[in-house]
Amino acid sequence: MNSLRRLGQFVIDSVEGLGRATLFFLEVLSGSRKLIRRFELVVQQVFSVGVLTLLIILVAGLFVGMVLGLQGYNTLIKFGAADSLGLLVALSLVRELGPVVTALLFAGRAGSALTAEIGLMKATEQLAGMEMMAVNPIERVIAPRLVAGIIAMPLLAALFSAIGVLGGQLIGVGLLGVDSGVFWSQMQSGVSFHEDILNGVIKSMVFGVVVSWIAVFQGYESVPTSEGVSRATNRTVVYSSLAVLALDFIMTALMFK
Amino acid sequence: MSDTQTEPGAGEALVEIRNVHFARGNRTILNDLSLTIGRGKVTAIMGGSGCGKTTLLNLIGGRLRPVSGRVLVDGLSVPDLNTRDLFELRKRMGMLFQSGALLTDLDVFENVAFPIREHKHLPEPILRNVVLMKLEAVGLRGARDLMPSELSGGMARRVALARTISLEPMMVMYDEPFTGLDPISKGVIAKLIRELNTGLGITSILVSHDVADACAISDYAYLIGNGRIIGQGTPREMQQSAVEEVRQFMEGLPDGPVPYRYPAPDYLDDLLQGDNA
Amino acid sequence: MIQKRQLELWVGVFVAAGLLALAMLAFRVGNLAAGAVINPYSVQAEFNDIGGLTVRAPVTLAGVRIGRVSAISLDSSNFEAKVTMELDGRYNNIPVDTSASILTAGLLGAQYVALDPGGATQYLKNGSTIQVTQSALVLEKIISQFLFNFASKTGSHKK
Repeated sequence: MNSLRRLGQFVIDSVEGLGRATLFFLEVLSGSRKLIRRFELVVQQVFSVGVLTLLIILVAGLFVGMVLGLQGYNTLIKFGAADSLGLLVALSLVRELGPVVTALLFAGRAGSALTAEIGLMKATEQLAGMEMMAVNPIERVIAPRLVAGIIAMPLLAALFSAIGVLGGQLIGVGLLGVDSGVFWSQMQSGVSFHEDILNGVIKSMVFGVVVSWIAVFQGYESVPTSEGVSRATNRTVVYSSLAVLALDFIMTALMFK
Repeated sequence: MSDTQTEPGAGEALVEIRNVHFARGNRTILNDLSLTIGRGKVTAIMGGSGCGKTTLLNLIGGRLRPVSGRVLVDGLSVPDLNTRDLFELRKRMGMLFQSGALLTDLDVFENVAFPIREHKHLPEPILRNVVLMKLEAVGLRGARDLMPSELSGGMARRVALARTISLEPMMVMYDEPFTGLDPISKGVIAKLIRELNTGLGITSILVSHDVADACAISDYAYLIGNGRIIGQGTPREMQQSAVEEVRQFMEGLPDGPVPYRYPAPDYLDDLLQGDNA
Repeated sequence: MIQKRQLELWVGVFVAAGLLALAMLAFRVGNLAAGAVINPYSVQAEFNDIGGLTVRAPVTLAGVRIGRVSAISLDSSNFEAKVTMELDGRYNNIPVDTSASILTAGLLGAQYVALDPGGATQYLKNGSTIQVTQSALVLEKIISQFLFNFASKTGSHKK
């Protein structure tokens, strides 16, 4: 019976947490209105969240594209369909791997950094100090970071997919001998802008919102000790990853019938 | 032992706390507490750790709401203010946190300039002069380009103090300003608190458990224990108090109304239990 | 602490690179530019069986893509499939006796509509109907036909 009660408690706590997170999200959104006039705050955050994540995204994208080229070729050649390698690489990246892997890497690098930064500001009383100076920390600190995450994520996903396709070409055409013209023409005739690329962009936007939201919320709610901040960072990465994968399934089911 | 003539009357009080009750969960922190802070005076609020001194500051600053009772600042009831009015009031209040709470990604100059940039639209040259004047008042004008991580504890607190007065508030609350500082730095902070009070007429509320330093610069003092006021008066009256709890605190006696020993079963029984186990 | 100018520069580079990547995906990987059709006009055709033809399938003439299938519906009066096609307005001299066939790209690829021009002097306009159509070759029917023919041939040899 005790485990049943604990399960019930867990469910209630989770629902309560979700409610708090939603109210927090709405509060941050309404605080974002003032950012239009103070856009330099967002620009600064796009730097720390976007530009600094760029390297890992590009390297990962390149390697994922190359692996797709390699593995794709190995399988397609058995059916005499090696000409479709370009199509395979492009669709895999644009529809799934681009948005999802970027979101996971983003959660690990930028998301955890956001949580740690905000948690640390809370622990060192910087947020409280701002409140006492009549500066709303939600508007000044949290909102720019959320908006920056939402802006940066689709761009990073596009860069991931683009460099992945180039990586696939490097291996497929450069190493394995697939004809360059066929590689690209098969891809271009098979990849639809509306159905594939646009859906991929929508996915990455949704992931951007969710990961940034989780990261910022966990930081704001963290217990203001070093242990509390470390646990919050952990939760950001875990919750973000699970949310991204679950949402990916739901969106894929809705978009690609 | 309080001389009611020296406790500020209602007309001269900037802050009034009346019958405030505050609890967190099951724990009562403040129990029917009443005190007044005189306008233009330095008032010390002392007590042991966890007695609710910081809670009191948070109640005055509107970050916490009392369960019951009134918190009045300059005639305004703080818990009843809406967000905008509360923010307007906070611009007139300054708070110096124990750690200074400087923004770690800004240098000293930018930290002091922060409230001015956020709330006022001054042209850059004027802003620069205002910031330099505030830094000069705390003696750190030359440190303007340092980052908070490069400052010692005492210097960080002085920069925070400069930031606190950048909007020229009517009152400043100091949360444990002397804690963790070497004697020289303590002397510097004490000098600054007193100067700001006499020079700019800023009402000062000093929360501290450092009896000697707090009493040296205060006009009036309160001692809080068990959620109530257990002593109040001028520093001299406090030092001469015959009330046991006040004496234990003022003189730093290890045992007294606040016991030395944490509650435990009988000593002999405890030792003998070990033999029998 | 990074200078403000440098910071803005890097953010600008980042955003520009991201948008460039997006454009590259749209135009080089996908086929957005190829989808640009000027002054499209609608033409209809009815087929017995459209096989696996889908909306947005290409419409070609002499192998060149000149339009897309915009809608597929069932004409319940004669139980034929009505296919509506959007053709590029630049090609406005297609004769009215042109035939439309549903072909398959490669052996197992997607299906598309191929137009074979006739010789009439009147041209297709918006709302015209192509009269001569050839339905899709459904693989199962071909195979069963083949087997039937084969069985009857071998059967006729039996005594």
